[in-house]
Amino acid sequence: MTEKELLSKLKTIITPYVQNQEGLIKLTEDTDFIKDLEINSANLVDVILDVEDEFDIEIDNDAMEKMLTVKASIEVIADKLAAK
Amino acid sequence: MIGNDIVDLRFAREQSNWRRSGWLQKLFSDAEQHQILSSQNPHLQLWTFWSMKEAAYKVHQRRFSLLPKYNPMDFQCAIEGEVYVNNYAYKIISEITEQYVYSIARVVSDMQYSSEVCEIGTQVRDQLKEMIVNTLGIKTLISFSKDKNGIPVVYLDKKRTNIAISLTHHGRYSAFAVGL
Repeated sequence: MTEKELLSKLKTIITPYVQNQEGLIKLTEDTDFIKDLEINSANLVDVILDVEDEFDIEIDNDAMEKMLTVKASIEVIADKLAAK
Repeated sequence: MIGNDIVDLRFAREQSNWRRSGWLQKLFSDAEQHQILSSQNPHLQLWTFWSMKEAAYKVHQRRFSLLPKYNPMDFQCAIEGEVYVNNYAYKIISEITEQYVYSIARVVSDMQYSSEVCEIGTQVRDQLKEMIVNTLGIKTLISFSKDKNGIPVVYLDKKRTNIAISLTHHGRYSAFAVGL
């Protein structure tokens, strides 16, 4: 899977939890889920569970703690996919 | 050092389906899950624990200038109003109403503070300025910013201070706390 495909899938996953739609329009690698998209911190766990389901991977605590930005999330997903 | 966190209980009910498979397990230890599920009001117990963890996260992050992390499992709640992270303990006071749970975390329980819960639409920054003026007797220009880790910083006459503040927002409510 290319990084572009990963990004597009991730965007679909986070969309229902985004409270600042403008941030979604301007989405880049540096986008911060909480700061830029105003995703509620209690909904980040839903993003993580959706990522697990979509990519059929397991996100452990060490990986989860990094998943606050688009870039970090793509790295985590790519790593887990490579280890499959 | 202070951290605070508010949960709008109605908004939480709409926003989160905590009965979803894997949801509790990612955020709460076995002991916490047991306490939540055996509670008379699991919804309330869960969001109380969550606000305790979030408040403790904020004070811990400020105390050690930590980078942002999503690590709720590192913060363990004790029912008596404490949260443990690594070898540190934080004292928690939680205010529970029918509408919200509001938790304040401090390093020591005798640290003085002021706090306020506001409804949506309130100019929170103005209220916070007023509180700083009234509680600390300050008459200079007050402004706010965030440091590189996203921790709020108070400036007086454009000079950075160590005044500890914490802001929180969820659903219909905002709140803030100032360490005195």
